[in-house]
Amino acid sequence: MNTNSNVYTVVYTTIVVVVVAAVLAFAAMQFKPRQIANVKAETLSQMMAAAQLGQKEELSAMGNDAVLAKYAENIDKAFTVDLSGKKVRDLSTDVNDIEVIDNLKPQDKNIKAASANAELPVYVFKSGVTVIPIYGAGLWGPVWGYAAFNADGCTLAGAYFDHASETPGLGAKIKDEPWFREKFIGKKADFEGEHIFNLSKNAEESGADNAIDAISGATMTSKGLNEAINVWFAAYKPYFKAAAAAAVAVEQTVNEQED
Amino acid sequence: MDNKLKETILNPIFKGNPITVLVLGICSSLAVTVQLKGACVMALSVIVVTGLSSLLVSLLRNTIPNRVRIIVQLVVVALMVILVDQFLKAYAYSVGKQLSVYIGLIITNCIVMGRIEAFALGNKPLPSLLDGLANGFGYGMILVIVAFFRELLGSGTLFGFRVLPEAYVPNNLVILPPFALILLGCIIWVQRAVDKDLQEN
Amino acid sequence: MEYISLFVKSIFVDNMIFAYFLGMCSYLAVSKNVKTANGLGLAVIFVLLCTLPLNYLLNTYVLQPGALSWLGEGFKDVDLSFLSFIVFIAVIAAFTQLVEMIVEKFLPSLYSSLGIYLPLIAVNCAILGGSLFMQQRDFVNVGESAVYALGSGLGWYLAIVALAAIREKMSYCNVPKPLKGIGITFITVGLMGMAFMIFMGIQI
Repeated sequence: MNTNSNVYTVVYTTIVVVVVAAVLAFAAMQFKPRQIANVKAETLSQMMAAAQLGQKEELSAMGNDAVLAKYAENIDKAFTVDLSGKKVRDLSTDVNDIEVIDNLKPQDKNIKAASANAELPVYVFKSGVTVIPIYGAGLWGPVWGYAAFNADGCTLAGAYFDHASETPGLGAKIKDEPWFREKFIGKKADFEGEHIFNLSKNAEESGADNAIDAISGATMTSKGLNEAINVWFAAYKPYFKAAAAAAVAVEQTVNEQED
Repeated sequence: MDNKLKETILNPIFKGNPITVLVLGICSSLAVTVQLKGACVMALSVIVVTGLSSLLVSLLRNTIPNRVRIIVQLVVVALMVILVDQFLKAYAYSVGKQLSVYIGLIITNCIVMGRIEAFALGNKPLPSLLDGLANGFGYGMILVIVAFFRELLGSGTLFGFRVLPEAYVPNNLVILPPFALILLGCIIWVQRAVDKDLQEN
Repeated sequence: MEYISLFVKSIFVDNMIFAYFLGMCSYLAVSKNVKTANGLGLAVIFVLLCTLPLNYLLNTYVLQPGALSWLGEGFKDVDLSFLSFIVFIAVIAAFTQLVEMIVEKFLPSLYSSLGIYLPLIAVNCAILGGSLFMQQRDFVNVGESAVYALGSGLGWYLAIVALAAIREKMSYCNVPKPLKGIGITFITVGLMGMAFMIFMGIQI
């Protein structure tokens, strides 16, 4: 057979393309559910690590189903809010149908531009902490994480950070070194001041409640993380203000009832 | 025949090593050598991709029209790479995440295309499969050697476990990209000092 | 301002060669003299500049999860991202072929000087790498991806011309025998990479 004729070439390429596309589509369909489950379990275990419900490594080692079960057990409510702090919709917390927003991708610069219908997820755990995500750009690629606030809406109960491709041993310490995320515990957000949090070199010397020392040698990663934290917390500011006001109001009613 | 097969398998590991002698496939490799774990997964992925694509192209070798040869080869390689990528995402999520774009870059890894062009197009399926696997192995071996030194000196750990005492101050230079190249230069130096035939004039 | 920052960053900080080792094979093979290095460098810039925005559009309007929603509500959940590698490489291979044919037809003199390096570009990791990084970084518009393409192409060009110049001079040096050729080239590239790391601190 003449393998160099035009007809043969065209027919051959068509067959190759169709066969390859079919194999890929089949493989993608086979792997898809597992991949989605992996991403969801990863997101949930990062959130639970931020909420101090266990170490990230232990949570990941539990397996996807156990992570889902643990989340369903500990979550109180989950919903999304818009940029003015108003609730948009509920996220399901049923163990068979856990809904998380795990495809956050807005870079810091376009979250501000994100239209009024932006949906910011809020996860409230039974222990009283509220977990929110952050997302930004590090030195080489995206950095992201979760921060857990106490019920007062300004004190941090914990945090967890991850990254796509920061330098191992330097920028990657934001994920690898537990002491770095433990530094955030007990820090207070300053929603009125210049920085909500100030993550920079020797920041703790100032003694401020919102100051956290950056990792030495990882200037650009820390800078990116600092910006991500500040931009995202600023986006949540209206929500936390409302939540704090509500908490005060509840306290007052309780006090009045006691009177 | 047996000797020829043996030669096919052994040659790429030392005398015809794809990285240090043929200088192929450096692109997608060095960035994943900061830690042993990533290097091992990358090495395994490359072995699978080179082996299977050589096999597949060798099976198709008499039917491929010469004019669209390169494109057909690229499609076969891309198919294998996507399968590996999807598999990693489903069953080794954390490692797959760490390797990110470098898995995709196996497509343009010159070793894969190079072995298909040079060997699989003119040989029977079994030798082609072995040739692909052996070249992938030769490549992976260098990757693991580089990663061993970089993780040991750069973090004081191996596979994430601390090996050197706490008193050792990790050398940050070792984990930065340029050092991988210098280390590779040194590996070539050692290899060529041992085997004088490989030296260039 | 964003564009300038991205441009400078992609030339110096995120240099395709020194930070990511992309396009190493042809980088080492074609850097023996400045003239051919120059030709290949320009060809890489050109192909990168054409394929990256094209792949960006494909990624945004066809491949991404939900990218097909412009076709109608029914396509909102279609996720074709598993096809991205194959689509990107097909675009690059087709484009390289196209460039080769156009150059051959209309600029025969350039073709004969670039000739064999043109088809090599299809398997240059820097080109596919550019598209994969573009996918990972979520650029907001075509302009950004074009600026990124131009910047990383220029960075690659700069790196290959600089190395070629060094290698031309190095042929007069007395290098230890086992290190001669590729060994010393690796070490040179490593040292150049270290020098490039000083750009990491720049803030624009």
